Amino acid sequence: MSDENRRTATERIKHFLLQVIDLTALGFLEPVVRLIYGEEPRVQIRKIGRFVAVPILAFLCFVGIWAAWAPHHKTKAGEVPTPSVVSEAYTTILTFSEREDSKEEAYLLSEAERVPLLQQAEAQLLKARTTAQAADEAVAHAQEADTASKKQLTERISEQLKTHKSTYKQERKTRENALKTELGTLSSNESIARVAAFREWKSKQTRLQKSMKEDLARIRAQVNPKVQTALAQQTSCAEEVQYLSSYCDILSKSNKESKLAAIDAEILALQNSMKQADTKNRYKQADKILVLHERRKKVEASSYAKASTLPMQIIRSIACVFAGFLIGTVIAVPIGVCCGLSSTFMAAVTPFIALFKPVSPIVWLPILLIIVGGFIPDPETHWLIQWLWDAPLIGELKINPAFLASALTVAMCSLWATMVNAALGVASVDEDHLNVAKVLRLGFCARLFKIILPSSLPLIFAGMRISLGVGWMVLIAAELLASSEGIGKFVWDQFNNGASDSFAKMFVVVFVVGFVGLILDRIMIIFQRLVSFEGSVAAI
Amino acid sequence: MLSSLLRHTAIICASATFCLPLHTAETEQLELEKSELKFGFIKLTDCAPLVIAKEKGFFSDEGLSVEVVAQSNWKILLDNVISGELDGAHMLSGQPIAATIGIGTKAHIVTAYTMDLNGNAITVSNSVWSRMQEADESLDTETPPHPISAQSLRPVVDEYLENGEKLQMGMVFPVSTHNYELRYWLASSGIHPGMYSASDVGGRTSAEVELSVTPPPMMPATLEAGNIQGYCVGEPWNQKAVSTSIGVPVVTNYDIWKNNPEKIFGVSAAWAEENPQTHLAVVKALIRAGQWLDATDTQGTLINRSEAARILSGSNYVGADFDIIKNSMTGFFYFQKTDKRAMPEFNVFFDHFCTYPWYSDGVWFLTQMRRWGQITEAKPASWYAETAQKVYRPDVYREAAKLLLAEGFITEEDIPWDTDGYKAPTKEFIDGILYDGHDPLGYLSKHTIGHKE
Repeated sequence: MSDENRRTATERIKHFLLQVIDLTALGFLEPVVRLIYGEEPRVQIRKIGRFVAVPILAFLCFVGIWAAWAPHHKTKAGEVPTPSVVSEAYTTILTFSEREDSKEEAYLLSEAERVPLLQQAEAQLLKARTTAQAADEAVAHAQEADTASKKQLTERISEQLKTHKSTYKQERKTRENALKTELGTLSSNESIARVAAFREWKSKQTRLQKSMKEDLARIRAQVNPKVQTALAQQTSCAEEVQYLSSYCDILSKSNKESKLAAIDAEILALQNSMKQADTKNRYKQADKILVLHERRKKVEASSYAKASTLPMQIIRSIACVFAGFLIGTVIAVPIGVCCGLSSTFMAAVTPFIALFKPVSPIVWLPILLIIVGGFIPDPETHWLIQWLWDAPLIGELKINPAFLASALTVAMCSLWATMVNAALGVASVDEDHLNVAKVLRLGFCARLFKIILPSSLPLIFAGMRISLGVGWMVLIAAELLASSEGIGKFVWDQFNNGASDSFAKMFVVVFVVGFVGLILDRIMIIFQRLVSFEGSVAAI
Repeated sequence: MLSSLLRHTAIICASATFCLPLHTAETEQLELEKSELKFGFIKLTDCAPLVIAKEKGFFSDEGLSVEVVAQSNWKILLDNVISGELDGAHMLSGQPIAATIGIGTKAHIVTAYTMDLNGNAITVSNSVWSRMQEADESLDTETPPHPISAQSLRPVVDEYLENGEKLQMGMVFPVSTHNYELRYWLASSGIHPGMYSASDVGGRTSAEVELSVTPPPMMPATLEAGNIQGYCVGEPWNQKAVSTSIGVPVVTNYDIWKNNPEKIFGVSAAWAEENPQTHLAVVKALIRAGQWLDATDTQGTLINRSEAARILSGSNYVGADFDIIKNSMTGFFYFQKTDKRAMPEFNVFFDHFCTYPWYSDGVWFLTQMRRWGQITEAKPASWYAETAQKVYRPDVYREAAKLLLAEGFITEEDIPWDTDGYKAPTKEFIDGILYDGHDPLGYLSKHTIGHKE
């Protein structure tokens, strides 16, 4: 009896797991679950091989090819980064963001918490300073060795070039003079031939010089990996020193508590001296105290002016894409439904869809930036922006006109798929269902909400899924153009930085964008499955 | 003998007491209207005063909490200052003047602080450089004589013209110092860089060399892509060309006009009106930043520049590699990999009364705007002076300096207290023409190319 019970319980769990897998379209996990329950092990293993092992193998192959090929493609910005360099860049990005977080945290800590941290940080700083010094020396050494070896390589060539230049100059002069005297005795055709030969000789000599110069330039441009690693080491050491010293500074004096304490002390001192002051000074001091109270309030509300970090930018981008997606959906669904209901309306809307659908985000963005700027001439004092800044949760995002313009660009580019699908969904509602509605004499509203919308939801959601995907792609470009804080701006800043690790950081973004896009798509798939009857929508 | 000894001791004592407050000085915080500020900058080493004032705590000494945000180009930066998205920004000297008189976007922008002198260079592509070397053999060495005049570029320009093309060069903004410097350099050797007019806002009328706008950090990539054959830009984008071997800097703006004003710190007039105390506090912090950047030891070596270069190389600031930024920031300039020259004054942030907002600087930019036709009609000399006075705010600067003097951060001789706002007339241009800010029309008439009145 209990055995039976247990079996049905495990069966139920299995059924539940399979349902979740089906809902989230993570089909590759299905054979794993079935295997655990011992269902046809051979079949399941084969399936695991196909749906789990093969993709992993393919990805490994891709990484392998990438790692092998990358160092061979040289660009002016350095070699194409290998997977290991990219993962290093990822660590650098994370370190930067962690450091900013810890500084932000330190700004708000109480004295009891700060003191031990400060001791620890000061000890670290001392250590970091010595390693930084060693790194500086290593760089100097590496650079010296590099210059010496390059000098050895170039010395011979530049000597050759020098002698060639001087002999060429002399010889050219003598040849030219000889030619000039000789030409007097020759016929015109012959003279032309002689001059042509002379010119040929001259260009051959300059070509020779050019190739020597190119050799020199090539040697000098060679990047020495030893210098490169030494420099990278030096940078990471120096950055640590910089971080630790500003961290110590925040812990010791530039934090909220210390600032408040300083102001309080000043107020107290003024209050004390006020007792002895004469009337004239009293006014001054009372005024000063009021100013200090004012300042105290400001410090109380202040926070650490944090530099933007990638995690923050990712969150802002996701918020932006959802904002745009919501605006787009709110516009697209009603219009799409109307299109599906009335072919006359559809005829009226079709030219707009056809005309605006292909317009690129690059065109919408500057237009929308100007339009939004027209509505919000002074963001600092505009009610909408103020309201958005004070709102809970989204207040953190510091929504500004650039954010709004990016969101609207996402909306403009992504709403078409939802609109077209909504129209299609509504238009293809089963005749039988509509006939039943007629028989039941349902009013327009009841028909719309009981029959038409529910049966067209799967298609509407399919459209929304496409829209969100398009929106995510568009957003990165929009942020890049609008300099709206987000992933797009991160890429653009890296491109502009042109530092030796910028290239690798951009590669990191490829994976971040891809991963976030994948998650967004999965979320939409789940919604789509929840509203569809058959639950059989393609997962990819 | 005794008296001289006494005098010496007196001087030493005086200087000792005078120096003492320098180390124990503390800022007196003002009654700020606004304490959380957002400033914009472009990824160039001359944004240093802003970044240093933040990172070395000069802003926070004034009770300011400042965010410094990179902007993608000068146009967006200006628009953000006008719209109030930014409280202030690192700007081209020509920008507030142009905005105030309505070239491009019209808005009243003012400045009370000049960020730096010099700091730009003109770079040409490798192929143009080798053709310049072919035409002028004296350039064909590893250390050619400087300054190189645009005369050596003439044969290349002609070659392009013969093929029915025009040499293309990049600059960063229509009213940028770079545009005027590039034009000055070309025109001083008789190469026509083109005129602006009401109908030609691209400035290409009768040009022999065509100039176009590219944002500074994009310059090396644009040169490499072959869209332009040369550019005039600030650092580190010339050193970047050297280190990646895509081009050769031929002349710095120090040689075109010795100690020319480069960037200013600009805010909108409305902002300055609303936040006078905050403005003062910002200028105070910036003056200290400039002083820190130009601090030298007894041998005259710049002591803080290496640290500054390290701070600037952070990816949220300029972001280029440390050793590229360091190249020009520490008093040297690489013209080629083999040609490193000492240029202690390539970047000036404090000396020569650099930070003072000079009317004569404003007038010079106005003369250039007129010379190249951006100002479409002739104006009287009084207009030049009035316009400069609208934009430059030495009153704010002086008040800030007074406060710093009282607090003991600067000394009496750091600030030109009793100037009328005009620098002494100078001939230190590449073509040796005398510039006197009091006589803009006389100056205009001395040039051969461009409007003469």
